[in-house]
Amino acid sequence: MARVFQVPAGSSRSGARRAAGTPAAPAPAPAPRPGEQKAGIVAGYLAPHPPHLVYAENPPQNEPRSTGGWEVLRWGYEELRRRLRAHRPDVLVVHAPHWITMVGHHVNCVPNPRGISVEPIFPHLFRYHYDFRTDVDLAEAIVEEGERAGLVTSALREDGVRVDYATIGALHLANPDWDLPVVSLSANNNPYYYSDASLAEMETLGVATRRAIERTGRRAVLLGSNSLSHLHWDTEPELPEDMSAERPFNHAQYAGDMELLQTIREGPTSRLKDAVPKHIEATASETKAGSLTWLLAAMGWPDVAGDVLAYGTVIATGNAVVEWVP
Amino acid sequence: MTPAALVPAMPHLLAGDPAPSWAELATATRTVGDRLRAAGVDTVLLLSTQWFTVLGHQVQCDARLRGRRTDENWYRYDYGHLDHDLAIDTDLAHRWADEIDAAGMQARRTLYEGFPVDTGTIVATKLLDPHGHGRRETERSGARPFEYALVSCNLYAEPSAMAAVAAAGVRAARDLGRTLGVVAVSGLSSGLTGRWITPAEDRVSDAHDRWNRKVLDAIRAGDRDEVLAMSPQYAAAAQADSQFRAFAFLDGAGVVDGPGEVLAYGPVWGTGAAVVWWGSDSD
Ligand SMILES: [Fe+2]
Repeated sequence: MARVFQVPAGSSRSGARRAAGTPAAPAPAPAPRPGEQKAGIVAGYLAPHPPHLVYAENPPQNEPRSTGGWEVLRWGYEELRRRLRAHRPDVLVVHAPHWITMVGHHVNCVPNPRGISVEPIFPHLFRYHYDFRTDVDLAEAIVEEGERAGLVTSALREDGVRVDYATIGALHLANPDWDLPVVSLSANNNPYYYSDASLAEMETLGVATRRAIERTGRRAVLLGSNSLSHLHWDTEPELPEDMSAERPFNHAQYAGDMELLQTIREGPTSRLKDAVPKHIEATASETKAGSLTWLLAAMGWPDVAGDVLAYGTVIATGNAVVEWVP
Repeated sequence: MTPAALVPAMPHLLAGDPAPSWAELATATRTVGDRLRAAGVDTVLLLSTQWFTVLGHQVQCDARLRGRRTDENWYRYDYGHLDHDLAIDTDLAHRWADEIDAAGMQARRTLYEGFPVDTGTIVATKLLDPHGHGRRETERSGARPFEYALVSCNLYAEPSAMAAVAAAGVRAARDLGRTLGVVAVSGLSSGLTGRWITPAEDRVSDAHDRWNRKVLDAIRAGDRDEVLAMSPQYAAAAQADSQFRAFAFLDGAGVVDGPGEVLAYGPVWGTGAAVVWWGSDSD
């Protein structure tokens, strides 16, 4: 039966970095010894999903071929993968902004989503053959806990819904072997027509996610899949990976990202409750879709600093790979 | 005058058990299809705001788009499962893309197996041409199916860029001697109801309703300048679908200089939706 376990306020590693004025150098988390493994959320990552990063890696699942590009961000993901492995999670839980659900927060409860995801915005970069396993028990528990918390929710049980590029992108970049079960949450907003996410609801969804993880006794790693500053070019170079065309949209966007990342590096995460809305206002940050707020709320706004593993722009948007270990 | 229409994007128009408003909007969209057919239209130049993109202007170049879309939000309803079979006028599509490039913008020729056609395009085309089950069957039955030329709605480009894209499409169609219809698939106000409702509960908020009626009145009066002038304010006050790029697109095609006939107006899940026709109403 499910074990209920409250996540401790901080690991020994993150405790050393807690609210430190000077950011600590990143170091991989020590692997738990046998018998030490505890349930709960063991780490959370800001894991952006530009399809360009998947395209640049040329994985066998993706049809288009590239000559590379965006290396620094991809090296950051390589480090994320090493750390993620060390956390030995049972499951990856991802919140991504391009499974857009106009009504409510949806959770993918399909046991084995598979198909091809041709991305309507970037079809030349992303035509990905996906085939992964869902942790259905945890997915259903998140739906239940969300409902209990008063959220409008829905359990997706239909086979035919195409999995979006942000969900696939974050999951592929974090775990290209796809050897861990997954729970995928939708973004209840319509950033393009209607409105941004309610960050207050994302807080509630985060808490509901944590309760479900604890109730089911899972050892979970969370991926909040948002880019940062979000103004970007509306055309593309002939060669998409032509890095001579890659730079921040303008200095204000870059500076806004650096201010947020400095706050992340200093910690504690509670400072981000103010910093994230301010950053959205300043840079049209994709965090307006709520994935980062969900992630930190699920972790209980831990009293730690984040490790920024990489930062880079993709078609001018800012993207950072960040780890928090509660 | 090139016949044209604004039609809704939401799939509720295809519901088996629709709200009265959904049924009226669906009937009006079918009427648009009848009128386009009566006008001898070969190809419908179509913009759907639900095919939203951010890089350049994507022009669909696949000759036939066949498949089933399961909508990522509405899958629990009958109207969340949409079979489609569309014929694309690829000569016009390529010519259109060339004209977009020639106008100094970036066209992106879209030809990918498994490309996901957006819900708005499917809903509109199913109602405009309800018996268009593909060219072969339709030819057997003697009817004449529409072909389509589809372009994406770039949300990072200015609405004026969508006007220039439409103008490029009209030039391309003229060069090829097509008898053209122009359709924009878009909602009006977008205060979507954020919970699961029954059809009977569906309504537009008073503030958004006032805005929609104000815009539709200007359209009825044929006051294109007024509609364009109020569009930014409308976009801000009523969160108009894609900042009402649909009207900018129709304007760029030169089809909204005269009065528009509002065939239907009503709520779809809290959003505002209308069917508007510009052109002759004779059959
Ligand atoms: Fe994104």
